[in-house]
Amino acid sequence: MRAVSTAETATTIHPWAIQAEALKVRAGRHLAVDGLDLSLATGVHGLLGRNGAGKTTLMRALATVLKPAGGRLTLLGSSVDGRADLRQARRALGYLPQHFGYYPRFTVREFVSYLAWLKEMPKRDIPAATQRAIDRVGLSAKADARLRTLSGGMLRRAGVAQAIVNDPQVLLLDEPTVGLDPEQRLDLRELLRDLGTDACVLVSTHLVEDVVAACTEVVLINEGRLVWQGTPAALAEQGDEHHPGDSPAERGYSALLRRHLAEAAR
Amino acid sequence: MSVLGIELRRSAAAGAALLALAVGVAALYTAPGRWSQGWMSLTLTVKEYMILLWPIALAAGAWQGRREHRAKVGELFATTPRSRASRMLPVLVAMGASVGLAFLLVVAAGGMRIASTAAYFPPDVVAITLVGALSLVAAAWLGLGIGRLLPTLVTAPVLAVAGVLLVFFTAIMRPDWMGAILSPAYGSSPFYAFQTIDPRVTAVLALFMGGLALTGVLLLVARGRRASVAAVLPVLLGFGVAAAIVPRDEAALVAPVDPVARELVCTDDAPKVCVTRVNANVLDALTPLARQGLAVLAKMPDAPTQVYEDRRAYLIEDAPARDADIVTIVVRIDDHGGLAHPDAVVPEMVFGLGTGYGNPECERNGAVERAAAYHLLGREPVSDVGVIPEMIEEEPQLNAEAVTLWQGLQKLPAPEAMSRVTAVRDAILACQDPTGLLSR
Amino acid sequence: MTLHLRARRVPLALAASVGAAALIWVLWLTFAKERDAILLLVVLTVMLMVAVLSTTLAAPDEDLERTAALHWPWRRAVHLLAALALVLAVLLATQLTGARFGPAALVVRDSAGLLGLTALCAAVVGAARAWFVPMGWAVAAALFPQPGTWGALTTWPGQPHTSRPAATVAAVLAVTGLVTYAMRGAARRE
Repeated sequence: MRAVSTAETATTIHPWAIQAEALKVRAGRHLAVDGLDLSLATGVHGLLGRNGAGKTTLMRALATVLKPAGGRLTLLGSSVDGRADLRQARRALGYLPQHFGYYPRFTVREFVSYLAWLKEMPKRDIPAATQRAIDRVGLSAKADARLRTLSGGMLRRAGVAQAIVNDPQVLLLDEPTVGLDPEQRLDLRELLRDLGTDACVLVSTHLVEDVVAACTEVVLINEGRLVWQGTPAALAEQGDEHHPGDSPAERGYSALLRRHLAEAAR
Repeated sequence: MSVLGIELRRSAAAGAALLALAVGVAALYTAPGRWSQGWMSLTLTVKEYMILLWPIALAAGAWQGRREHRAKVGELFATTPRSRASRMLPVLVAMGASVGLAFLLVVAAGGMRIASTAAYFPPDVVAITLVGALSLVAAAWLGLGIGRLLPTLVTAPVLAVAGVLLVFFTAIMRPDWMGAILSPAYGSSPFYAFQTIDPRVTAVLALFMGGLALTGVLLLVARGRRASVAAVLPVLLGFGVAAAIVPRDEAALVAPVDPVARELVCTDDAPKVCVTRVNANVLDALTPLARQGLAVLAKMPDAPTQVYEDRRAYLIEDAPARDADIVTIVVRIDDHGGLAHPDAVVPEMVFGLGTGYGNPECERNGAVERAAAYHLLGREPVSDVGVIPEMIEEEPQLNAEAVTLWQGLQKLPAPEAMSRVTAVRDAILACQDPTGLLSR
Repeated sequence: MTLHLRARRVPLALAASVGAAALIWVLWLTFAKERDAILLLVVLTVMLMVAVLSTTLAAPDEDLERTAALHWPWRRAVHLLAALALVLAVLLATQLTGARFGPAALVVRDSAGLLGLTALCAAVVGAARAWFVPMGWAVAAALFPQPGTWGALTTWPGQPHTSRPAATVAAVLAVTGLVTYAMRGAARRE
């Protein structure tokens, strides 16, 4: 599995789209990801954790923004160790950063096309792919509006549109639901389920209900390490009415965290 | 929808080009008389306005170069496979093409006005204009590079001022050859109509600007501090090569003469009237006036029989030896490329009594000469103010004296008066003081 | 107050404006034969300082500042006057040195007029673009000053310090800019 040449990467189906072994990533001087083992295949994975658990740092490392400080990270079969040519993997990557930067003078269509071009999509495919991505996030009516005229929720959806324009095999969305109204959140969950059928989608959030509704798997991390990985149904079984939360999944989440913190303290 | 198209619409390219075009055209058309003479004077005038256009392109580049930093897209773009160099290509092309085209359009906007009157198209004009466009491209690209390196709000205004000062002080700096390399406005001060810029000077500017443009590109795409430092190599190299081949002699640097433009174009029939090739379009308008002037002078014996335009290159040449057969006159061109101040042609020819420039060391007497000239013209002397276009004021006493002398001449018999006038002319030629020759 | 200044990047602007003026002063001191700097250089130094200081006229988040119940008109007016005082202090100080940027009347006229115009532009198009118009005007006027009353009005920054029409335009711009900016603050854009 390690011996996949880069030329094949784009077309080969990998059993694990993302594979991290003892991964360490620095955020500044601090090791925000510290010995993380994680394997993710096709599907929608919800990344949960408290503030400062290392979610965003992990996302940034998976998005090839940060270089691993130790351990191994493999994306779609190609190793991300700082020296490798990341081009093939990046072509199959979609990323919505926590702080989504954009050009305010561009229209939605222009910005999404621009990102499609940055992702080295074939030139003739760009217009259709752009239109499709904008339609999928429900921004068709605003396709030709300047980004600076959009509301926060629309901007977030434009951010998702640019992330999915290249039909990525690895899609990393850092807090995509921020600023969305309830109806838009439902639409986004549906989109995520749809995307997860043939791509590995990792969604960072601190809303457990989003995870339960849209994800096939839950990944819980704390202090840069994997705490728990399993299905939403399994998450719900982890807790009981003694644990805080408004839903079985939330109670499961608090139960897992409490147990982990108790173990760590010992 | 191509990415280049997006950049053309959404970057500072279009704004910078429109601004440069508007400023250039406005500057040209507020003083059309400066460049109505022909293609070279237009080209030199536009080159002088480089002091406005170059900083615009530089500041616009800096403004645009800050975009990725300002929009905080660095993180998102870092996850894409396209290289930084490739990502910057469309904006480089958009900015470069826009400001370069704007420069050509400024020249074209002036060209429209003079196309029908300009008699001579010097080939140097093409090279100077193209290198002017290159200079603006270099400014825009350098601005992009610096704007990316120092992405602060103050970078653009600081560069705008720096650009003005750079163009201004390099254009007038010493030694001249260094200014010729460094300044996009070098050699643009007009001294005479048949002036040009030496092709070697244009070439060294192109070398330096090419190096500067490349430095801008490298600054824009550089990854890491070492690459940014290495980016200064092209401009140093450009300067080095330019310094090696730049002409060092004044004749090539300071207002060089285009010999073809200075060639005389003459009437076929006598009396012969000649103007330089640059001004050939006013020959027809000048000829009857010049011949009228000759007819006035012909009242004296041994009067000149030909009129030549004054074509001294006074920065680099002394006055040529006098040819007794030729009167030289200054040809002035008006705002529309036609003959300016036609009423001044005859008086100016007659005022020196056909003696040419004369020796500046000889004693002259303005009142005596004026009285003699107006006697030939057959009217009462008046002040030069209003007759000679450049004259702003003169002592009223001078003309009063001339009128008295002229009245004295009027009272004499015609042959005696003419012989006294001729004596004044001969005295000037012999470098003797003509005072008293009219009122013996 | 310190935070307020830092949020507007005042330290950077201060350093950049004084530093740039100092650089020009050193260059003139080193390379020029005359003691008095030429008019173009004086006008451009004033404009440079004004343009750099103008970037402090808007905070990154103006809306947030508006909600703070402070006396903004007075603060803004003081801010502008402090900027003017800085420009004047730096340039008038050169009168005592080997490279003089003057005459004082011209420095006062152009500083006040250009700063007023810049503040006016900040109120209309935002602080980031406020320097466009004054910079263009000052450069064009200093390079190509025109004679006559109309010429003096249109190219006021480049006129000799004795020109009354130029002083009038500068005074009008200074007062209009001060009042407009103090009342409205910088326009929000992007």
